[in-house]
Amino acid sequence: MFDFLIQGFGVALSPLNLGLAFLGALLGTLFGALPGIGPINGIAILMPLAYTLGLPAESALILLAGVYTGAEYGGRMSSILLNVPGDAGAVMTTLDGHPLAKKGLAGPALGLSAVSSFVGATIAILGLTLFAPLLAEVAVMFGPAEFFALMVFAFASMSVMMGKDPIKTAIGAVLGVMVAMVGVDSGTGVLRYTFGMAELYDGIDFVVMIIGLFAISEILLMLEHANRSDADEGMPPLGRVMVSVKELLFCKWAMLRSALIGFIVGVLPGTGASVAGAVAYTTEKRLSDKGNTFGTGDMRGLAAPEAANNAAAAGSFVPMLTLGIPGSGTTAVLLGALMLYNITPGPMMFTERPEVAGGLIASLYIGNIVLLALNLPLAGVFARVLTIPRWVLVPGIAILAFVGVYQLHSDLTAIYLMLIIGIVGYLLRKLGFSLAPVILGYVLGGLMEDNLRRALSISGGDLGILWQSGISLGLWIAAALLLTLPWLLPKLLSGKATDKA
Amino acid sequence: MKFNKALCYWPALLALGGTLLAGTAQAQSGATECIAPAKPGGGYDLTCRLAANGLQETDLIDKPMMVSYMPGGIGAVAYNHVNGVRKDDPNLIVAASTGAAVNLALGKFGQYDADEVRWLGALGADYGAIVVKADAPWQNLEELMTDLQTDPGEIVFGAGGTVGSQDWMKAALTAKAADISPRDLRYVAFEGGGESLAALLGNHIQVFTGDLSELSSQLESGKVRVLAALSEERLEGPYADIPTAAEQGYDVQWPIWRGYYMGPEVSDEAYQAWVDKLKTLSEKEKFAELREARGLFPMARFGDDFDGYVKDQVAQFKQLAEEVGLTQ
Amino acid sequence: MKLAADRVLGIVLIGLAAFAAIFALKLQIPFSYEPVGPKAFPLGLAILLAALSLVLVLRPGPSGSWPNKTLSLKLLAVLVVLLIYALLFTRLGFLITTCFTVLALARLFDAPWLKALLAAVLMTAGSYLLFTQGLDIVLPWGYWMPELG
Repeated sequence: MFDFLIQGFGVALSPLNLGLAFLGALLGTLFGALPGIGPINGIAILMPLAYTLGLPAESALILLAGVYTGAEYGGRMSSILLNVPGDAGAVMTTLDGHPLAKKGLAGPALGLSAVSSFVGATIAILGLTLFAPLLAEVAVMFGPAEFFALMVFAFASMSVMMGKDPIKTAIGAVLGVMVAMVGVDSGTGVLRYTFGMAELYDGIDFVVMIIGLFAISEILLMLEHANRSDADEGMPPLGRVMVSVKELLFCKWAMLRSALIGFIVGVLPGTGASVAGAVAYTTEKRLSDKGNTFGTGDMRGLAAPEAANNAAAAGSFVPMLTLGIPGSGTTAVLLGALMLYNITPGPMMFTERPEVAGGLIASLYIGNIVLLALNLPLAGVFARVLTIPRWVLVPGIAILAFVGVYQLHSDLTAIYLMLIIGIVGYLLRKLGFSLAPVILGYVLGGLMEDNLRRALSISGGDLGILWQSGISLGLWIAAALLLTLPWLLPKLLSGKATDKA
Repeated sequence: MKFNKALCYWPALLALGGTLLAGTAQAQSGATECIAPAKPGGGYDLTCRLAANGLQETDLIDKPMMVSYMPGGIGAVAYNHVNGVRKDDPNLIVAASTGAAVNLALGKFGQYDADEVRWLGALGADYGAIVVKADAPWQNLEELMTDLQTDPGEIVFGAGGTVGSQDWMKAALTAKAADISPRDLRYVAFEGGGESLAALLGNHIQVFTGDLSELSSQLESGKVRVLAALSEERLEGPYADIPTAAEQGYDVQWPIWRGYYMGPEVSDEAYQAWVDKLKTLSEKEKFAELREARGLFPMARFGDDFDGYVKDQVAQFKQLAEEVGLTQ
Repeated sequence: MKLAADRVLGIVLIGLAAFAAIFALKLQIPFSYEPVGPKAFPLGLAILLAALSLVLVLRPGPSGSWPNKTLSLKLLAVLVVLLIYALLFTRLGFLITTCFTVLALARLFDAPWLKALLAAVLMTAGSYLLFTQGLDIVLPWGYWMPELG
């Protein structure tokens, strides 16, 4: 059953791939540490390059997966040191990480977050190894009807995590789905919203979408930050470098619980590291914040989101590798990378391309150890990245964005489109939107429509097919539970509380 | 304010420089280029690389051929680009295939039709195939066709393209050969051959109209059965056991050629030089290896022969599209 | 009604929804194998978007902080620089446009002249070498320079 893993280690331990895993981890940590350049941007920028380099599929994937996991490590740096999350997954890390740094414990905080990240990722990779092949066997049973139910479930699970502004999250997701409607309709071949432009026939390209949405809008936001006097706090001193064993043991339950939460959240399609960090942090606060120290520099408040966001990163590989469905925006980009290589991720990947699936998983184990080894002693060096002046950073982002898009399209329309999307992204962010729902709506919405229509063309219009199988029925029930739980749970919990009292 | 100066000064200079330099003559570079009108990694990329690697390894060109990507509408963006911007570039060839011919017939390439460009030649072909799961009740094409005639609504076809795409055409032509209107077919459009194949193996669809080259690993593992190859004649190698549709009494053929075209205003000399180059290439032994490595079958049509072939094909597709009501 | 950012956004989005719906209704479909068809999703989304936007118009949140006039001008300048970069990218080629773009962006982000010039030259040369030599990417040469390679 684990033949694929043995073969995978064979692939991952070749000198080239080992080097790439190392390079990916290093670059990923840097990308994650740079504010605004998260794992999505890092992968989006490197993906076309990896392809043109002529790397074989498994090597490219190993490099990109290294960037992904590395970015989750790196995202915490600016969160802790500057109170600016390096990427979406690191938002919760700021809550206790920055207060710790202010107390002069920046070094231990960086060390603790590195260990938490390692624990979270290790548990999740073990889970991935155990469950991915099992899920892969179940996955051939996923036909269009089951996929449609899965998409419904994914949107439902997104809605639970909507956060403080549910209306804007919903609008973001709807806008994302609407972008996915552009292009040739995959059912009938009708052109939708193309306005006679052949460039739009294939829809709005993913790379154009994310580079515009994240990188271009970030350039504009950086300009604002640069001109606000209150934003530029000096970097606090790093303090002593190592985290003590006592501190680690103090956080062990927080880490383990959060790793588990992170893995589960990561496996669910449609939710990723940012959601995992939020759920883990709030859970840990509810469970163990006896002295009301969370938010003032509690080590457990730092360990929880860090373990969770790394676990989620690894967990989101499960649906991607077995079903071909992205569990997060970042795996959606990785999925695109696989498509470049004409590999359709899905049930057949473990049997047909074991070197790709196994190599990837094995490289996650290796990359994780590399990252711990890199991050513990080099925390101080990485922190220097933050001192790169904006006037170097911004032109750099601009060059990468332009070359990245031009390289894929040889066409200026794509670049104009990227700029327009960038302006829209900037306005949305200014208006208090989170971009994650937009990108997830864009990815999941198209799948949802296609699969609904495929299911109904299989059944000849009979709606019954949508809940005929056990899998789809289960998913419908789970989705219904997710939607009703926020109303039910407080009632149940308050009931318990009165019992105790 | 510092930035005001920068604001006024540099863009102005850039704009000035732009107008000055845009007027200067365009220099033609010596290097040859192949546009793959798709994202990297697809069939068009493969077509370009076949020419680029082949010409390079047989020393027919001295500088490596550049491959650039221009995705959009199965070639529509590139077609418009070549007809609008690089009309006379003697060093540029563009990859095309049966899929492009289908879209030309359906008028999906905008204002231009098949007569616009100079069709150069084809270096290889793939063939359509009618595929069922290994445990399906049909042993040959005739059994499938008989069942299809009694109840077309019971058998679900699937393939990797929309209604009107070349993947759909294979299903539609198969239906027509059984005297069934393609409109009565039950057809599901997936995203690419891989997804359709997964759906076939998961029993979600019963018949997959795919391409032979993407089936090799499934054939080896014995998971699928190919009822008919949509080629003119029986193929060789691992496909020698597969009967053609024509052998079984149904006139369905679907070659997927992989070829190239050039801009409409390219000189006759440049065009002829390319035709000769490709022709020479196709006769080299080394090239046969390269072609086979890419899962392609031999096909050699060049110059006027190919030009006529493509135009006939487009006309044929136009007729078919009208018959089934895809176009008015 | 008070002019809140969310209110403006809501009205714009309702306009977008109406546009999307009208476009969807006008689609001509030759034939389709399923009852849903290509119209249903765009229409449903348009209705959903309009409904959600209506909530925004009726109950807008805080408007947040918007850039003042100087900053807006600066933002516009960055966009203009990027637009010019795009416009001239293929015409003048990668080297020249990138050099000027880096210079302009660095200046807009408050770099002194000397440093900005240094950044422009070094980053252009560095990225050019990285992309062409290291990564084998075809960069536009521009239509004006004789072929050097």
